[in-house]
Order: sequence, then structure tokens, then C-alpha cells
Amino acid sequence: MEPGGAAMAAAGCCLRPFSCERGLLSRPDGSAAFVQGDTSVLAGLYGPAEVRGSKESPERATLEVLLRPKVGLPGVGERSREQLLRQTCEAVVLGALHPRTAITLVLQVLSDAGSLLSCCLNAACMGLLDAGLPLSALFCGVTCALDAQGAIVLDPTTRQEQEARAVLTFAIDSTEKKVLMATTRGSCSVEEMQQCLVAAQRAADTIFQFYRDSACRRYSKS
Amino acid sequence: MAEGGKMAAGSGKMAAEAAVGQVVLPGDVLLLPARPGHDAEQLPLGSEAAPRGRLLCGPGLRRCAAGLLVTKCGLLRHRQPGGGGGAAAGGAYWVDSQQKRYVPVKGDQVIGIVTARAGDVFRLDVGGSEQASLSYLAFEGATKRNRPNVQVGDLIYGQFLVANKDMEPEMVCIDSSGKASGMGVIGQDGFLFKVSLGLIRKLLAPKCEIIQELSQLYPFELVLGMNGRIWVKAKTVQQTLIIVNILEACEYMTSEQRKQALAKLSGN
Amino acid sequence: MATAFKTVEPLEYYRRFLKENCRPDGRELGEFRATTVNIGSITTADGSALVKLGNTTVICGVKAEVAAPAVDSANKGYIVPNVELPSLCSTRFRSGPPGEEAQAASQFIADVIENSQIIAKEDLCIANGKLAWVLYCDIICLDYDGNILDASVFALLAALKNVQLPSVTINEETGLSEVNLKQKNPLVIRKHPVATSFAIFDDTLLIVDPTAEEEDLATGTVTVVTDEEDRLCSVHKPGGSPLTGAKLQDCITRAITRHKEVKKLIDKVTKSIKPN
Repeated sequence: MEPGGAAMAAAGCCLRPFSCERGLLSRPDGSAAFVQGDTSVLAGLYGPAEVRGSKESPERATLEVLLRPKVGLPGVGERSREQLLRQTCEAVVLGALHPRTAITLVLQVLSDAGSLLSCCLNAACMGLLDAGLPLSALFCGVTCALDAQGAIVLDPTTRQEQEARAVLTFAIDSTEKKVLMATTRGSCSVEEMQQCLVAAQRAADTIFQFYRDSACRRYSKS
Repeated sequence: MAEGGKMAAGSGKMAAEAAVGQVVLPGDVLLLPARPGHDAEQLPLGSEAAPRGRLLCGPGLRRCAAGLLVTKCGLLRHRQPGGGGGAAAGGAYWVDSQQKRYVPVKGDQVIGIVTARAGDVFRLDVGGSEQASLSYLAFEGATKRNRPNVQVGDLIYGQFLVANKDMEPEMVCIDSSGKASGMGVIGQDGFLFKVSLGLIRKLLAPKCEIIQELSQLYPFELVLGMNGRIWVKAKTVQQTLIIVNILEACEYMTSEQRKQALAKLSGN
Repeated sequence: MATAFKTVEPLEYYRRFLKENCRPDGRELGEFRATTVNIGSITTADGSALVKLGNTTVICGVKAEVAAPAVDSANKGYIVPNVELPSLCSTRFRSGPPGEEAQAASQFIADVIENSQIIAKEDLCIANGKLAWVLYCDIICLDYDGNILDASVFALLAALKNVQLPSVTINEETGLSEVNLKQKNPLVIRKHPVATSFAIFDDTLLIVDPTAEEEDLATGTVTVVTDEEDRLCSVHKPGGSPLTGAKLQDCITRAITRHKEVKKLIDKVTKSIKPN
């Protein structure tokens, strides 16, 4: 495991300690486990592989995201998150380079202790990186919670999420720090949303630095 | 800015030359030095002597407005044009990345497994997204009468004649002059296994230490496919498996660890 | 000629229009299609509304049932939304179990209900811990021409405003519920959420209320839901082209003006029905 906690504490940012382990599964073409506090998600990636049936596209690779909850079968909530994750990945994967192929991303929730969607996003990005798929940029997920007083809590725990007035999750891209994906729960004012976005963009810097450090560590070995 | 692999946390821009040997991430932009004669500002010393070479944009890189856009994570490599020294504008840049999934590239020599015979062609599994085709005439000395003896399940060492993203890859087992030059059906016995594409490239590099060290142990036959497949055959099954285990372990061992392991083996 | 060009190079065809700040159907970039709403179109439902956004047609029916409330929230009723995209509304959908888009839309509507507190669930309680209303909100698309989310949220709101619930009392002696069908009360609508969707063209241009064609060509979509206090009930951007905070702000500003337009329309229609 490569901890990102030290860099994070130095930055004075209030994300929970996070870490990532890459290439821990032998069968998939790429895999990564991302841990944020007590939340952890395992990503396995196959591709570019053979495409099944009607999903084949002559223009670009077909992306498929499967989100497996910790217990039980995936439901409507998972399906909606799969759509968010898929379209976020589609925005950065250069699928036109591998037409008529399928890229399958399987995300298995290992434990959910808040900020699950952002952890899924981070695991997905690390998985894509590990599989060596062509990407135009990287992305990371940041969840912000607004508590009753209007203070911003980054990377909230389940409890903080429940107590919060609003929970916003953003996916930020690495080139220009723009918003790739946004989804909200609860209601907030426009100013509060913009403040959360700025906080998320700042937190994204920490995560991208962690991505870079973890890549450096991986390649310095060989 | 690019020192010690430290860049701005997000995606950075840096001069391509400064980034050689560094880890780059998708989204990074590599700025190319201005061409000689166009803009003298960014030119390093001694560039006047360099020929104006063509710049090749290798795997993991794409051209963009500002220079080169990195699309894969790995170490940036650079080769000078024509072996000459000092050229800044020319040469080839590429990203050396760790990957498991193979994507066919024209000219690559790979190991395929015959999965079917369909009329005049064989279907080969090469580990890519699609099966490759191999004509029965694409063997040394093969004619309409004299068909090669290829069965389903056989291993074939061949090279790609056609490999692009829009077409089915096509393999041949002859070179341009019609000679087999080592390609064709791989003999019976032996052992086939898979390693990462990065390790294969390392093994195929000229004067690879690992291969040289292994060859000191005892004689064995070795076929390396660019698609990550390795076929090994030694005198006994035990000897074959020793080679397999060492090669598989090379993925994670440092050169010191490997030397120690080999020393132990040769001592026995 | 133009039709041939459109078939061969649909994206370029659109770009030429967008460069002139208009769209092939004559709208400006920030203009919605003609919006019509018909309230109470299904007489057998407890509340219903039909919304048309250009060609996109969505019908919402609300069916009320009584059930025992959940143990952990004894004083709350239920709202169960469901979006259906049947194969009759577009060739892109197949019959059978709901596809990804329908499921994602259902989840979005459920999120909007939850986030906006359109109805306080406590209002649906009849007897604490014993009986509560369940509102099944079925949203069915009849004609799919893009922007299904805006139409669905509008149809849901209009249908909920149309709901008339009979008064239910619990007989103290028998413990059974008695329904008085003569006396009907409307629901208390606490908030009026209105959704506004945008399509992103070529990573930079934002166009409002995209048609199905525009959605296919676009590189991303954004849906902003606001209430009458200009608070955000949902900012839903499922991937696609990245946007800056400033662009997002533009979307929100447009969504706020759209809210006023929709509110005016819905007030006008409800007023026209009242006299009956």
C-alpha cells in the first residue's frame, strides 16, 4: 500500500488519509484498490478486449462499468452511479484509438464509510492508469458535505454525510481542473455550491500529486 | 519545474527534453523545442550542428497544439535520430509503460494459438481484442498442394503483416524474402506462459542481462512474443520450469536479487 | 442538398448553425421549445399531468394507496417514483426490463424529490405508526425527443399539484380506517423544483433544452434543478466534457430564469382548472 496521508497532512487539507495499491489482481489487464479512510473500492479493468454482440461500435471503444455493492445485488442506485462513472471515464478515455473493442471496468465496494462515489472515481482512474489505456487526462473524485452551519467538510464519513444539509460530489479533470461530473444530494445555495467546487478543486491538487508520486514510485522500481 | 519528477500537482507542461527518463502521466504536455531556424530562444547549445530530423511520436504520445500530449503513464524515452548526437528537434519520443493487454502492431513478432481453421486461413488468438488471421500460404515453401501441417491448438510464431485499429490483424510466418527466418509452428512439448509487456520488451532488448545470465545455466530453447507470451523448452521438464519461474519472478526482482537466485541455482 | 449534408456530416451541419447563434429548428441557443402542460388528463388517477416539450411528451400519473409506515420513520409516508421509457417512445429503447437510461432517470427523479422536499413526507402520515399514504408516481414517456429529465420533473410537479387525497380517519372503536371519498384535500406542495438541461457542444458551447438529435451529437449534458428560493436541488452532470465553474454558473443563471417561466405557466394552468 502506498499511503498518501503524509503529503496530505502537509498540505493542510482535510481529506481522510488515502492510499492505493495497483496491479494486485493477476487476471484483469489493470487493477487498483483505493482506500479513503475506512471506505475502500477495488477496481478491475479488462480491455481493449473482444466486444459482445450489439454493443460494438465502429467509431470507438465501448465502455462498460459494473458497480458491485458490498452486499446484495446491484439496484437502481448502482445503475445510476454506473452511468455517472461510465460517462466520466468516456470523457477521458481516447476510445477512438480502439474501435470495435470493449473496455470493461468492474468496481467492487469493499467497505463503505462515506464518500463512496468519489472513492469509486479514484479507483476507476487508477484502474485505467494501471491498464495502460490511452487517456487524454486524469480525473479524481472529491465529495464535499455542507453541515448545518454551512461549513464545508471534505471527504465526509457516513455520519457526516447523514448529518449534512447537502452532499456534493465532483469529478475534477487534471488538465484544467474543470468539472467532469457533478452530482448533489440535499439542497444548497448557488454560492455554497461554488465554494464547494473551489474546495474540491483545491483538494484535487493533493490527489493528483498523490497519483504522480505513486506512479513515480512504481516506475522507479524497474 | 521538471526536476526530480516533481511537477505541478495536476497536469504539467514541461520541455520534452527535461522530461526524458522521468515519469509522465496522461494529460501532461511536453513542449518541443523550436525548430532550428525558426525560433532561437529555446534552443539548447550545439543544436546548430544537428540535422533537422523528423520527430517521431511513439506509443503513449499524441500531437497537440502545444507539443506532445501524454496518453499513458510511464517513463518518457527518447532516441536520437540516426544515432547522431545532439539533435533537439528530431528523434523519437515514446512512453515506456507497464501493460498487460496486447494491442497488435504491424511488424511485431508474436506467439499465437491456433483456435480454428476457416477455409484458407487459420484463426489465431494473439491476446488482442480480435483474433488474427493467418493464410496457409504464408509459410515457407507452402503452395496450394503443399499445405503446412497446422492443427488447432498449435503454437505459431509469426509477425503481423496487417495490424491497425480498423481491420482484422493478419499474420504471416515468412519474411519479405519468403524465408521462415525462425517463424512457423513451434515444436511439441515446451511450456507457454504469459508475462507483462514491459518485461518482454526488457528481455528482447539487445544484450539483455537476464537472458545472458540464464544462458550460463544450461542450454534451452526460448521464444519471446511481443504479446507477452514466452515459450520455453529445456532438456527436462524440471529444467524448463526453473527457467519459467525465474523469468516470471523477473517481473518483481531487482537485478541483485536475480543474481543471487541464479548463483544459488548454478551452485546446485 | 441540406438534408444530404445533414446525413453525412451531422456535427458539421450543427456547427454551422451554432456559429450563427441559432439551431436548425429556429431556436436560439438559450431558448426552450414550446412547453405545454395539461393537468388532470387521466381521470382515473389521483393526480396526473401531461407535459409536452416540443415533441417530447411525458405523462405522469399519481396513484395513492395506504400502507403501514416503516418502523424507523413512523410518521412518514412514501413517494415511489418510476420513469418508464417504453419501446413505443423511440427506436432507441427495447421492450423488456428498464434499461440504463430509464433506471438513471428514475433515480434522478427520486433524488429530486428527496433533495427538494417537494412534499414533506410527514404530511403523508394518516395515523402515526399505523397508516400513511404511498404515492406511486409513474412517469411514462410517450414520445422521446430529448430532454426527458426536464419534462419528467415538470410532469411530476404538475401531477402532484393535481393530487386530491380523500380524507381518511381511523375509527377509534374498531381500529379500522374509514375513507371519506366525498371530502378530498389537495397535497401540500412545499417546494416547486424545476429542472433545466443543457447539452455541451464541442466542449464549450452550451445549448438549452436539447432535442434527441442534439443529445446524440453533444459531448455532455448538465441538468440543474432549482426551487423558488433559487436554491439548488440538484446539479447533475453525468460525465462528458469538462466545464469550468463559471460555465456552471451560466447554467444556473439560466435555470433560475427558466424556473420563473415554468412557475408562471403552472400557476396559469392550475388557476384555469380551479373554477370547475
